[in-house]
Amino acid sequence: MSWLVWRQYRASAAISAVFLAAFAALIVITGLRIAAQFHAAMGPCLAAHDCRWPADNLVLDGGPLGFLVEFTLAVPAVLGMFLGAPLVAREIETGTGQFAWTQSVTRRRWLAVKVGWLLLAALAWGGAVGALVTWWSGPKNAAYLNVFSPGTFDVQGIMPAAYSLFAMALGIAAGTLIRRVLPALGVTLFGYFGVRLIFMGWIRQHYMTPVTTIYSLAANPLPSGPFWELGQGFRGPNGPISMPNGDNIAIVGNGFPASAVPAACNTGPHHLENMLSCLSQHGYVQYLTYQPAYRYWPFQFIEAGIFVALAAALIAVTFAVINRRDA
Amino acid sequence: MISFRVDGRSGVPPYLQLVQQVRQALRMGVLDVGDQLPTVREVVAEVAVNPNTVLKAYRDLEREGLIEARSGQGTFVRRRPAGPPPTTHSRLGRSLARWVREAREAGLDDEAIESLLKVTLRAADQAAADFDEGIA
Amino acid sequence: MNEETGGLAIETSGLTKRYRRAAALSECSVTVPVGRISALVGPNGAGKSTLLRLLTGLAWPTGGSAVVLGGTPRQDPAFLAEIGYLAQDVPLYGRLSAEDHVRAGARLNLRWDGAAARTRLRQLGIPLDRAVGTLSGGQRAQVGLSLALAKRPRLLLLDEPVAALDPLARRHFLSTLTSAVAESDGGLTVMLSSHLIADLERVCDHLILLAEARVQLCGDIEDLLAEHMVLVGPRKDTSAIERAHTIVHATKTPRQTTLVIRRGGPVIDPAYQAEDISLEDLVLAYMGAAAPAAYTHLSTVGEE
Repeated sequence: MSWLVWRQYRASAAISAVFLAAFAALIVITGLRIAAQFHAAMGPCLAAHDCRWPADNLVLDGGPLGFLVEFTLAVPAVLGMFLGAPLVAREIETGTGQFAWTQSVTRRRWLAVKVGWLLLAALAWGGAVGALVTWWSGPKNAAYLNVFSPGTFDVQGIMPAAYSLFAMALGIAAGTLIRRVLPALGVTLFGYFGVRLIFMGWIRQHYMTPVTTIYSLAANPLPSGPFWELGQGFRGPNGPISMPNGDNIAIVGNGFPASAVPAACNTGPHHLENMLSCLSQHGYVQYLTYQPAYRYWPFQFIEAGIFVALAAALIAVTFAVINRRDA
Repeated sequence: MISFRVDGRSGVPPYLQLVQQVRQALRMGVLDVGDQLPTVREVVAEVAVNPNTVLKAYRDLEREGLIEARSGQGTFVRRRPAGPPPTTHSRLGRSLARWVREAREAGLDDEAIESLLKVTLRAADQAAADFDEGIA
Repeated sequence: MNEETGGLAIETSGLTKRYRRAAALSECSVTVPVGRISALVGPNGAGKSTLLRLLTGLAWPTGGSAVVLGGTPRQDPAFLAEIGYLAQDVPLYGRLSAEDHVRAGARLNLRWDGAAARTRLRQLGIPLDRAVGTLSGGQRAQVGLSLALAKRPRLLLLDEPVAALDPLARRHFLSTLTSAVAESDGGLTVMLSSHLIADLERVCDHLILLAEARVQLCGDIEDLLAEHMVLVGPRKDTSAIERAHTIVHATKTPRQTTLVIRRGGPVIDPAYQAEDISLEDLVLAYMGAAAPAAYTHLSTVGEE
């Protein structure tokens, strides 16, 4: 049965291998270039152990193909749409299921072998892309400390592999339930990005309770390492200070709105230090809500675990349905 | 060796067509006493018919005593059906062919020839019946 | 040889398949003895494909039951190995070659005679290494049949296998089929659906007629033909006939009445001339009787 899977997917495997190889080549070429830029700019301070991170002024230019890394956000969707969705849907649409499911293999065994290979392929391709992008991003990660930010988090580490498993499972389930390739493709596309956006925008930040640290007004809130900023602002003795609307708001220091300065601090010479120490004495502080850098890998594993669990649920649904419906 | 043909639209059941063809082959001398008939598989391969049809035809012929099945060896012709020998059939066949040629030259088409044959047969039957009645 | 010799290959009881809007098959109760080549006939949409798919387990019934080779159609390699199925239009993997399909079959089946399949295809001159999507309809049908036969099934179910074939391809297909039955020595039962009655009469010895999703006729062709007759006579009151026999179909012209009847006993009405009925006329009579109202004008020519 695995021979048949190979024979049927021979062409797709070859094409995707070519794409992967081309992608790898481009990644390596641009990645080496970025690494060279990085070492040229940061070499001296690295040797002297006195680099300041993030190196906001450093420009690491990946060249005209830099967008390739952002494009890898779509890789799982492509796998799910073009390999997962047609698995069962094409057999039913073209009628070849009537041949496949009247040989001496049960539908479930047929499905198990095909799903097994497709999930393995998703893991392999997703994992390879993820590994390549993680390597490529090394210098940028060090320079900008942005691994934890949405977007960057999603294309590095183990996320691409987990997302690929999920997308493949989603495609397979959609194809089995909808039984027509094109609608299943569409459901996979929108379903995948819908779920991903929901997780990225709303759910991920709550995997662990965010940390809120209070800083004095004079300080520059900067937790160490690549933290994920979720919110920041000012608090006074009566609670949080809301920022007024509009452009060109008068601010004091780090962004404290001038309109919120109490009268007591508005007298006297308008030196920034006096203003800030006055505000501090009156109980004004700034706060930063964030996920600290050391939670990066725990978050990767938590989200990967969730998406793998979703994939498993979708595959279970597929197995339940394949026997119940007409072929 | 006999070669079978089954006409799906003739109105005659397939097994009967096979029986008639064997009888005709025996009359004409195409099949001789002691000749082996094709096996069921051979007939089926040549003429796409149900194997049971061939079995039925052979059973009928066996019941008539024309053929016999020898276990392990096949089916063989036992005797010819009652009637004149093959040479007579051939002779009559040749004179019929001459008549048909003449009829065609005269302008009769197949339908006219068949009608003429039917009418002549009926008249001959009638004449024979009259003759019998005349005697009785 | 097998415990069903003399038994039934197929037995259905009230088999029903309903979809949301209508029933594709309704209360179908038929039997097919082992060793028969059964013809499944009926107009389009009568439920022939549905019946075949229910027997293979590709579709599930909504009512009634089916017993195929002694068991219910089920997801079980032992059952699947006993049946061979050829769907309409022979859906195979268009980009794979016949050889690929034979190799796949070897790996997907318990019993497999790939050598016989290859030999048969070679004898028919069908290329084994070309993608089956590029073969002609007749060649694809032969590939499909060879694949089904290579399983060495005990029951072969064919859905309109010769519908799209030219006469020569049709002849080759039926020849392959009957040879396979002959070689099985009564171990192979076949059910094939078709429109072409002439072919069916020479190849089939059993008939199931479906119309409007219901069974109209089921039985050995020999018996069915013996049970029915055509009565031709002057137009007159047919109630006497109706009392003794069942009128399947009546065609009335101002001069003449033609009745197709199912005999309830000997026919002794001297006003009518009795004739044997051909299979084609028998099927047409039952299909005409079950036809929607739009067709009834065809059977009452010249009715006042």
